[in-house]
Order: sequence, then structure tokens, then C-alpha cells
Amino acid sequence: MGMFILRRVGVMLLTALCLTFLVFYLTNLYPNLEKLAKTQGNFRMSDEAVASWLEKGGYLQPTPVKYAEWLGVVPSYRFEAEDGTVTGRCILPGMEASEAPRYCGILQGYWGWSTVFRDPVSEIISTRLALTGKLMLWVMLLMVPGALIIGVLAGMREGSPLDRSLSTFSITTTATPEYVSGVLFIAVFASSAVGLKWFKGTATSAMENATFENFFLPVLTIALYGMGYIARMTRASMAEVMTAQYIRTARLKGVSFPNIVLKHALRNALIAPFTVIMLQFPWLLNGVVIVETLFNYKGFGWTLVQAAGNNDIELLLGVSVVSVIVVLVTQLISDIGYVYLNPRISVT
Amino acid sequence: MTSMDTVRQVHPAAKMYAREFKQGQMSRREFLARTTALGMTASAAYVLGGLGQPAQAAGHAQRGGTIRLQSEVRAHKDTRTYDWTQMAYVTHGTLEYLIEYNNDGSFRPMLLEGWEVNDDATEFTLKVRQGVTWNNGDAFTAEDVARNITRWTDSTVEGNSMAARMASLADDETGQAADGAITVVDEHTVVLKTKRPDITLIPGMADYPAPVVHSSYDPNADLSELVGTGPMQVVQNEVGVKAVLEKSGHPWWGDEALEGGGWFIDRLEIIDYGQDPAAWIAAAESEEVDVFYETVGDFIDIMDAIGWQKSDVATGSTIVIRPNQLAEDENGNKIYGDKRVRQALAMAVDNAVCLELGYADRGLVADNCHVGPVHPEYDDSVTRLPHDPAKALQLMEEAGMADFEHELQSIDDDWRKNTTDAVAAQLRDAGINVRRTILPGSTFWNDWTKYAFSSTNWNHRPLGTQVLALAYKSGVAWNEFGFANDEFDTLLAEANSIADVDARREVMGKLQAILIDEGVTIQPYWRSLYRHSAPNIQGADAHIAYLPQAYKWSLSA
Repeated sequence: MGMFILRRVGVMLLTALCLTFLVFYLTNLYPNLEKLAKTQGNFRMSDEAVASWLEKGGYLQPTPVKYAEWLGVVPSYRFEAEDGTVTGRCILPGMEASEAPRYCGILQGYWGWSTVFRDPVSEIISTRLALTGKLMLWVMLLMVPGALIIGVLAGMREGSPLDRSLSTFSITTTATPEYVSGVLFIAVFASSAVGLKWFKGTATSAMENATFENFFLPVLTIALYGMGYIARMTRASMAEVMTAQYIRTARLKGVSFPNIVLKHALRNALIAPFTVIMLQFPWLLNGVVIVETLFNYKGFGWTLVQAAGNNDIELLLGVSVVSVIVVLVTQLISDIGYVYLNPRISVT
Repeated sequence: MTSMDTVRQVHPAAKMYAREFKQGQMSRREFLARTTALGMTASAAYVLGGLGQPAQAAGHAQRGGTIRLQSEVRAHKDTRTYDWTQMAYVTHGTLEYLIEYNNDGSFRPMLLEGWEVNDDATEFTLKVRQGVTWNNGDAFTAEDVARNITRWTDSTVEGNSMAARMASLADDETGQAADGAITVVDEHTVVLKTKRPDITLIPGMADYPAPVVHSSYDPNADLSELVGTGPMQVVQNEVGVKAVLEKSGHPWWGDEALEGGGWFIDRLEIIDYGQDPAAWIAAAESEEVDVFYETVGDFIDIMDAIGWQKSDVATGSTIVIRPNQLAEDENGNKIYGDKRVRQALAMAVDNAVCLELGYADRGLVADNCHVGPVHPEYDDSVTRLPHDPAKALQLMEEAGMADFEHELQSIDDDWRKNTTDAVAAQLRDAGINVRRTILPGSTFWNDWTKYAFSSTNWNHRPLGTQVLALAYKSGVAWNEFGFANDEFDTLLAEANSIADVDARREVMGKLQAILIDEGVTIQPYWRSLYRHSAPNIQGADAHIAYLPQAYKWSLSA
């Protein structure tokens, strides 16, 4: 087991390296740098001004060098202006050049400086990730029990009217993307157009003070989409288990139906949905992009949109690293969890 | 108002304006704009013109409370390099302005008590308001005013847009204020001497990148430490999320000096709801905001429907749909070099249709010359080439361009796209081939001056000559028309040296005629601006130039 986890961590590091290099390469293409210069300097800058701005920031070095600087394995670039002032990546606003370290990269624990938000990347990512974590927690609390209940109810008597109606519900919710359901929910439950106004159509105030009123719609929008999918998986798995020999034996022995479902079928039926649920975490990371933008909830997804829209190189890299970690860690957990749920499988 | 204007002499031109105004030769807006630009206070101008003063609710405004404004929150940068008005909203409670521009076209002294201008607009005497202190306890003096104007004049600072507004004070070689241009006479008087007559100096000082900063100002320092003359402090400025201004405890000079006082609210929250107006509506319906930065397009009707108050103001903001005279086709021929082609484009288009389809009739029809009724020196006797699609096609044929397919480009948004579509449709109706290309906002501005045929939005400016100098003068950076005309340049320079508006109007009439006759652009309409605020908010009116004036806002009882 120890070896297995170690190997997975190795794979994780390698993936993170490859992905960040790819992101680094793409964000450092010249047109993207030009865009960065224009959004940071002035929209109507001339080509010479763009070049001098990029030169000053060290953006015109070869990409591998810049990448190594970001990692912290080579000393970072410094630019000395004609009047003798020195600027560079490691020299944060308000810091003297002589006090600043020569190396500043991931290895030194420095995640960079966001050009859009004018704050350290680590600070932005931790704040925004915490907000998305809050959103995800409530989504999971609503989605997982909801999906399992629907799936088990539907799967325990395959073909029954209950199964048909719950399946129709699951398929409908899964087939409706968030940008459709979110807009519908806002129109129906939050606007004067319909006039119900039960909830709020924006979650901006939920960042500081989440209430049922301002937080339910975004949570519901994300949860419904995933709920149908997990419910379908649970139903299929449940239906399969319910046809197994041992279930028939239990029924013939006179075990009550609720007992069969809860004690004999459920654990076996949960193996497949478990993986699906764990896979929902990485999916949630990108699912929140749409919902956070729609409801103006400024979390991780919104940060990604802002960083990509403004070619904020270091923030994008930070976002990529976090995404790689989330994806691979949840997969690791799902692999290990599998072993516990199904004794026939071993990781070694 | 206060006693500050009692001893001042009335500028002779102001008396003349008053006479003309009373004889009906001048509109109310023109009269106010001209006399106040000559250094007269608005209330004195009202008296001189025999006008009733506008009723001000401010005297009865209730104090206290929080107002939440929906607006983008952008990163702070050096005040003189501001390129978005939204930046000024964050600092305007702390860093205040010398002069304020108002919707009626008048200029009101704020940190100045008043100013005087000599007859040919080359010498300006600024009277600094007495008794104002910075929030760190320092007194506000003429030195502060001189230092700020010097700061604005410095064109060597990258992105300093104030330098262009103060150019007549600068030494062309050093890019700094010229020797003797800015003189501190005594503790409360600064004299400015321009190297050429400059009628735009006072309007320039009222613009949003001109907040007055303390000698200790550091653009990189934390905004909460900002030293200013205003009563508010910035307690939070999170880019893209939220900014908060709170009463700092520093008393406001305006409560004594200005009628009715100001800064009634204790806290102003500026909350960023992104760029999508649908999100703003959701915020309004959720009662999370009280005032919009601006209401646009179809959302104006929606906001009316949910019961918010509407405030609107007619402006000089507009759109131009213009050919670039230097643009070449693949064979190197200048597509729009021939005047007949350009005239044909203008003649094929009915501007009223553009206003209706592009901007839902929320504005005034314009005459293709980029000077309009909001500008004091506008000559309304000069009108556009007649709308005549048949003649347009004929001109196009004469020029040998009947089969040419024009590519008309625009940014991908609401009104700019729709207006450009309306132009394209009318050109097609006239028998001219047009292909439409819509570019996303992220790439559109990269080459905006160079497109062969495209639309661009232009903001309001107080004087008619200002946009002409920025965009139509030969060789200037924002000349997207590829327009170069010696006669036009000479006349424009002449207009800029005439302090008297009537004399300037004669020259302006000629300038307008040149622009129209050369078919330089289609400029279909002037936009009105709208702002909505919740029913319990007072004084949060739309501003003609989007300037931040939250000191006028209050909550009703």
C-alpha cells in the first residue's frame, strides 16, 4: 500500500510538471504576452511600448528559462532601468531590490504575483478555494444523499412505476446543463418576471454570509446536474445486485424487503457509485466555473475565468497545480476506498 | 452660495453672454457652460442670467446609512494614469477635485474657491479654498494645487493622460511643466500661464484622472493609508470583488462651503457584479445593491418595471461608423480615398433609423460631424448631406465602386453591434454590398484605428473642439479616419485660441461643414445615459461624464 501511494504521488508530480509547462508555454506565446501588456499597461499602447514593457518584466526570455524561474531552480530575472532602479519577479511592491531573494519559485514556496488582482497568488487561491470548498460541501451534502436515495429507490424494483418516474427525473436533470437550469431557476424563483421571489438570484452576499435564501439556487443548480448521473449509476448497480442469487435466497428465507435492501444489497450496490462520486470532485471544479459566473460567486471557478481572460500567467499556473492535485488525490482516495468496499480487489 | 464670489469682477464676456442669453440667442446649457468656464460660480451665473436656481433636495437629506453601488472594481493605479472612471469612484471620497463638471454644462469650484481667466484664455488665476485640511492634519494650500498641476503636466510618466489635458503648460522638450507656467503667488493663489490660448484647461481639471493628492502620495501604497481632503477612507479594495469607503472622522469642508453640504452616507460599498447586466438585475431584485453604475439597453425598461427610479442625461457620447481613408485593398488601392465613396456611405444611411434600431431611440439624432447641441460652440445651421440612397448608389457607381464588397467591422456587444448592423442593412438596401464582421472585445481594440470600415464608441467631452483635436486632427494617435486636411487643422487651431464662444462658433461651423462634406464619418446619434437607483435613494443621478459624485447621495427617511 505504501509503495502504491508513493507511486501515485510520483505520477502526480510528473503530471503537474507536464501540465504547468503546457500552460506556461501557451500563456507565454507572444500574442498572449501582448495582451497581458495591454491589459496591464494601457489598452492603446504602441508596439514599441509593448516590447519595452515585456522586456522590463523579463517576459522576453526563452520559455524554459522563465519556467525554471517559476519553479525556483534558476535565479530570477532582474531589470535595471536607466535611473538605476531594479525591478524583478522576486521584488514585491514596497520591497528593496537588495533585500529580495535571488530565487523565488514554487520550491521556495513563492507562487507568484497575480497581475489582475495585484495580490500574491497563494493568497488568492486559498481565499477562493475556501469559498468554492464551501459551495462544494453543500453541493455534496445535497447531491450524494439525494442521488443515492433516488438510485436505490429506483433500482430496488426495476421496471416499477416508481423506477420509471425517478429515472425520468434523473435523466432530465442530467440532460439539462447548468447554464440552462441556472437561468431557469433564477427566472422562476428569483425574478419579478414570475414573481415568486423565494430565493436570491445572486450569491455574492453568500461569500460573507451564506443563508438558505442566497445560497440554495447555486447549490441546487450544481447538485441537480450531478445528482441525476449518480442516481442512474446507483440504479443500474442496485438493479444488478437485486437480481443476484443471494438476494433471491434471502427473500426465500423470508427476510423483509427493507432488510434485504439495506443490509444485503446496499453495500454491494455502492461500489460503482463510489467511484462516480469521487470523480465528481474534479468535475465540480470545472462545473463551478459556469455556476460561479452565473451567480457571481467569487470562488475558484470565477478566479480561473478572470485569470484566463486576462492572461494572468502565474495565477493560471497556480490554478492548474491545484486542479491536478484535486483530480489525482480524489482518484487515489477512490482507488483506496475501492479496496475497502470490495475485498476481491487489491492495490498491490 | 458663500461670500466667495462677492468681490470678484464679472468677466466682460460673461455680461455679454447674459445679454445674448436673455435675448434668446443662446441656450441655458450653453450660457452656464460658458460663463462658469470663465470663472463664474454657478449661482452667480444663475443670478446673472436671471435664472431660477435648480431646486436642491440636499438641504433635507438625511444623514447616515450605507449605499451599495453596483460597479466594476478595478486595481488602483497612479491617479493621473486612471483609464476607467470606476477607479475614481473608489478614491473620490478621499481624493477630491479642484473643479466639478455638472450635467447642466457648468463648472463648479470645489477645492478652489473660484478662478479668473483673461480675455484670450492664456492666464488663469486659481483661488484656493481656505480652511480645507488634509486628513493627516496638514493645511491645504496653493503649494498643494501647484504640485498637483505640475504632476499632471509630466508627460514622461507612462500612461499619464492628464499630460495631454495640461499640454499647454508643458515645455515640449522636457515634457515637464514649463518655467513660469505655474506660479504660487501667495498661500491661496496660483497663477497658470499657458503658452497658447487654451480653453480646455479648466474642463481638463474637472476630469476623473485629476484627483488632488497629498505630497506623500505613493500609488503602490495600501489604499487605506491614502491621505486626502475628503471625509471618507478606503477600508477595502478587492479587485473584481468589492471596495468599501467609510467615514474616517475627518470633517468635510463642503458641509460649510457648499450649500446643503454633502457626504450624507456613512459607508459606500462598491460591489462588482461582472459585466453582464442580467447579473446586475439579479442583484437589484435580491436587494443586494441600491444604485447602478449605469443602466444600458433593454435593461432600462426592465429596471423601470421593477420600480426603480430612472435618471437620464443627454450627452456627447456617441458612435462613429467610419471608413479609414488610408485603408488599402489587396491591390494597394485606397478603398476610401475617393470622397464620393465616403459621401455615398453617409448618404445611404438614415441616422434616425440607426438610433431606433441601435439604441432604442434613447438619444438624439446627430449630423455626422461629431459636434452637437451639448457643446457650447455647436453651429446648428450646418446639417448633414441629405439621406438619399439613390444618389448614394449613383455616387458609388461614378467612383467605380458599385461592385465592391465593403467589410464593416464592429465589436461584439449590444448597442455598438446593433447600430453597425443597422448601417449595414441600410447600405444593402441602397444597393451597396456589405459583409459584416463581428470581433470579440478582447481582440477588437488591438487594431481599432486601422480597420478599413468599422464602428467605434466615443465618450462625451465638454467642448466641441476637444474630440476634433483628439480624433480628426491630421496624424494624431486616435485619428481612426485616416483624415488629413490642412484647412481643417488650421481652422481647428484657430478655434482653440478663441475664448469667446460666439466667435468660435463661426469657425466651428466651417469645421463641421468640412467633416460633413468630406464624408469623414457616419455619426448617427448622441446617446443618453441612464442610471437606476432604488426608491429610497436620493440624488444618485446619472452624470453626463460618469464622474463620481457620491457626496450628493443619501437615503430617504
